[in-house]
Amino acid sequence: MSGFDPSLLLTVDWPEIGGATLDTLTMLGVSLLFTIVFGLPLGVLLYISAPGQLRARPRLYAVLSFLVNVLRSLPFVILLIVLIPLTLLLVGTSIGVAGAIVPLVVGAIPFFGRLVENVLREIDRGVIEASQSMGAKLPQIVFKVLLPEAMPGLIGAATVTAVALVGYTAMSGVIGGGGLGDLAIRYGYQRFQTEVMIVTVALLLVLVQALQTAGDALVRRCRFG
Amino acid sequence: MIEVRNLSKHFSHEGRRIAALDDVSLHVAAGEIYGIIGRSGAGKSTLIRCLNLLERPDSGTVTLGEQELTALPEAALQQRRQRIGMVFQHFNLLRSRTVGGNVRFPLELAGTLSPAQMDARVDELLQLVGLADHKEKRPSQLSGGQKQRVGIARALANHPDLLLCDEATSALDPETTDSILALLSDINRQLNLTIVLITHDMRVIRQLCDHVSVMDHGKVVEKGSVLDVFLQPQHAVTRSLLAETGFGQGERVEAWRARIGVPLLKLTFVGEPTLSPVLDKVGRETGLRVNLLSGTLSEIRDTPCGQLLVGVVASDVELPALPEIFAREGVRCEVLA
Repeated sequence: MSGFDPSLLLTVDWPEIGGATLDTLTMLGVSLLFTIVFGLPLGVLLYISAPGQLRARPRLYAVLSFLVNVLRSLPFVILLIVLIPLTLLLVGTSIGVAGAIVPLVVGAIPFFGRLVENVLREIDRGVIEASQSMGAKLPQIVFKVLLPEAMPGLIGAATVTAVALVGYTAMSGVIGGGGLGDLAIRYGYQRFQTEVMIVTVALLLVLVQALQTAGDALVRRCRFG
Repeated sequence: MIEVRNLSKHFSHEGRRIAALDDVSLHVAAGEIYGIIGRSGAGKSTLIRCLNLLERPDSGTVTLGEQELTALPEAALQQRRQRIGMVFQHFNLLRSRTVGGNVRFPLELAGTLSPAQMDARVDELLQLVGLADHKEKRPSQLSGGQKQRVGIARALANHPDLLLCDEATSALDPETTDSILALLSDINRQLNLTIVLITHDMRVIRQLCDHVSVMDHGKVVEKGSVLDVFLQPQHAVTRSLLAETGFGQGERVEAWRARIGVPLLKLTFVGEPTLSPVLDKVGRETGLRVNLLSGTLSEIRDTPCGQLLVGVVASDVELPALPEIFAREGVRCEVLA
């Protein structure tokens, strides 16, 4: 391969790129939603059950922590394949965009959960102690103290997770998941169509930038005072 | 009001067992301000946390009114805590809420008032602590003293019958400390609210408290009325804590005596005699001339009082007769010959 002829960009199949972009956005949006729905409670549970914390359950914490570590240490490509039976059970298919969402969510929950745990640990113990001194029950502490006080950090964690999910979606091509990353691998890498590679990578870059900028803006808006 | 009996609490630190509280007992009467003083690590912080059971003692009981807190199940304890206010050294306000929101927080926890009633109560409390104009501000926009006022308003929200102050003025400058102490004193009088505070600053005890316990290494080494403890300290720790206030300087007597070689008198004034020319009067009657060595004239809570160490330069009467002569003027005199 010698040099790159910009005129090749005209030959790019733009409708296909558009479809792939839509696939990526769908996978990202749906899996981020479910990751937060399941990962946030997981993070809270990890935080409150840790030794010395609000509802210390050292055994439960050890088990949860171990499971989180196992899932985080599995390469995502392996997870895609291992989870095929579960995916079939949950969404009725193990291929395409729908088939990719289950492994994406399963892969991202432990990641996000751990980030949430760390964000919650940064909350001043004194504030929690003060609410205990006022007779707050555990659910009140979680919903009125922990989550509001940690909100900037939680939004930051969701942003990091969203960016990681963009990376994961690239591998969903293995099970026919589609999306921009898949396009880059199939056309750009396997078929030497550099122009497709450039366009998809540029779009991924724009997407990640947009996610980070939006996340940072949200954090700034809800930072206190 | 509060009866603390035989509280003990141990912590393990690097394999060693450390007694934070060692068989501590104390009694706090309703409506008084009770101070607990000690150096850092004396166990006072653990003690105040045991009063609302943020910290569970290993053994011993805490009884509030008729209710033994140490025997309450968790849910009942949470309920009871709503009416035990607590104020903290570092304020511990919620950054995510405005000033008004912070004061509203304990009302939301209790859940007994309607939203409109909560708003009215918040306004009333902010009025009480002098922050009515700051309702919509964030804690980060306030000074330390203002933050502590929010902390106090929050602690009073659910009409507590007991207020615990954990080094409430230790993070504040002296001027702000005075204004917070004045506020606490007002609240104590206006609401007849019992206050228990811990501090390492004798000034806080002197300005605010009725009774005091002195702690050292997890034990209460001395307790009594603030006047007695200041004027007749018994324990070395108490005397060293008092050193900077000018009261209770038993240890320096020897040094003074060696230096000037005359008999010494320790004169203790409480109340009215502090404000009258007693030394002058006794001097005219007895020919007593003294050399003022050290001492202090001050107020303990609102009682004027003082303590002077003087050297006897001349006297027409025998020294042993002096205590009785001073006693007639209401002044306690000890001859340190």
